[in-house]
Amino acid sequence: MSEPTEEGRERTLDRPVTRRGLLKYVLLGFSAAATAAGTLTPVVAYLWPPRREGSQSGERVAIASTGDLPVGTGQVFSVNNKPVLVVHAEEGFKALSAVCTHLGCIVAWNEQRSVIACPCHEAFFNLNGAVISGPPPEPLPAYRVQVEGDQVYVEGAES
Amino acid sequence: MENTAQRRWTTRVGDWFEERFNVRRPLEAFLKKPVPKHAIRWYFCLGGLTFTLFIIQGITGILLSLYYKPTPEDAYDSILFIMNNVRFGWLIRGIHSWSATLMIAMCLAHMLRVYITGAYKRPRELNWVAGVVLLLLTLAFGFTGYLLPWDQKALWGSTVGSEILGVVPLVGEALLGLLRGGPDITGLTMTRFYGIHMLVLPVLTFIFLGAHFIIIRRQGISGPL
Repeated sequence: MSEPTEEGRERTLDRPVTRRGLLKYVLLGFSAAATAAGTLTPVVAYLWPPRREGSQSGERVAIASTGDLPVGTGQVFSVNNKPVLVVHAEEGFKALSAVCTHLGCIVAWNEQRSVIACPCHEAFFNLNGAVISGPPPEPLPAYRVQVEGDQVYVEGAES
Repeated sequence: MENTAQRRWTTRVGDWFEERFNVRRPLEAFLKKPVPKHAIRWYFCLGGLTFTLFIIQGITGILLSLYYKPTPEDAYDSILFIMNNVRFGWLIRGIHSWSATLMIAMCLAHMLRVYITGAYKRPRELNWVAGVVLLLLTLAFGFTGYLLPWDQKALWGSTVGSEILGVVPLVGEALLGLLRGGPDITGLTMTRFYGIHMLVLPVLTFIFLGAHFIIIRRQGISGPL
């Protein structure tokens, strides 16, 4: 590689920036800055301390107001990243894990028949989580529910 | 000299190091080797792409190791945590997983190019051998990394994959125990695979990559067809 001579280098520096040159530097600079920002932003955000400790912490979560769940209805909510079925029964609120103990499908509340149904293999559970019929080997684990004012809270996500 | 002030700052930094270490000439000879005309083709980039993917794997792997927990109790949950709670965790893990697949694909594509252009022939036999070792290391990366999520797919994939070692005559059983850290896939297998994946394989790969690159610079790229 031939080194540019001292005079040559000076001449390059003395020359005023041309229109083409300016455009080139602006576009190159913008590309470089955009690439760096696009790469570094996710990495720095990744390293930043995460918001929640996640599924291990069984902290209490407000899921709905009593008005959202009239008597006889049920809905699946995300509690500490686990799906939880909350049913408003005659005797009060019930919360159960919504993961079917058979093969892990998400169960749903069947309003007409007042049972918890798994859509995958015709499995049915009662409101205590016990298996009425179908292949599940175990009952659905229960969660603690609390009602304060008109807010419904679900506590814990065991294991 | 007013000259000094006018020179580019990059040149001045370079001169500062040159004054002390005097490595400009050998470095330039190594780094500025012109690429022959017949090699300026996309299919001559496959090896470089494999290397780029390896670097990406290194960076994303280090990032994943900051949240991953290599124990049977915590591994799967820590991966859920990365996917759901860590900002861009899904992205980093996704890049690591996809680059792993792509790296093997690029490795094979690169070998195919070397084979078709006959670049493995004398005097480059040993670089082909180094390349085959690098392919095996890449596959080993894939195999050990597959177990780490500790889900059903990982467990059975590793069970079936490692069982192949068990059919080696006479010493098969012993080799299998050595790989798994016991007769079955357990937490011991996991820490074993984790150590191999994070420490043993990267070191070996860097050594063979170094050899691969030094040899190709020394011998030059093979001639046109």
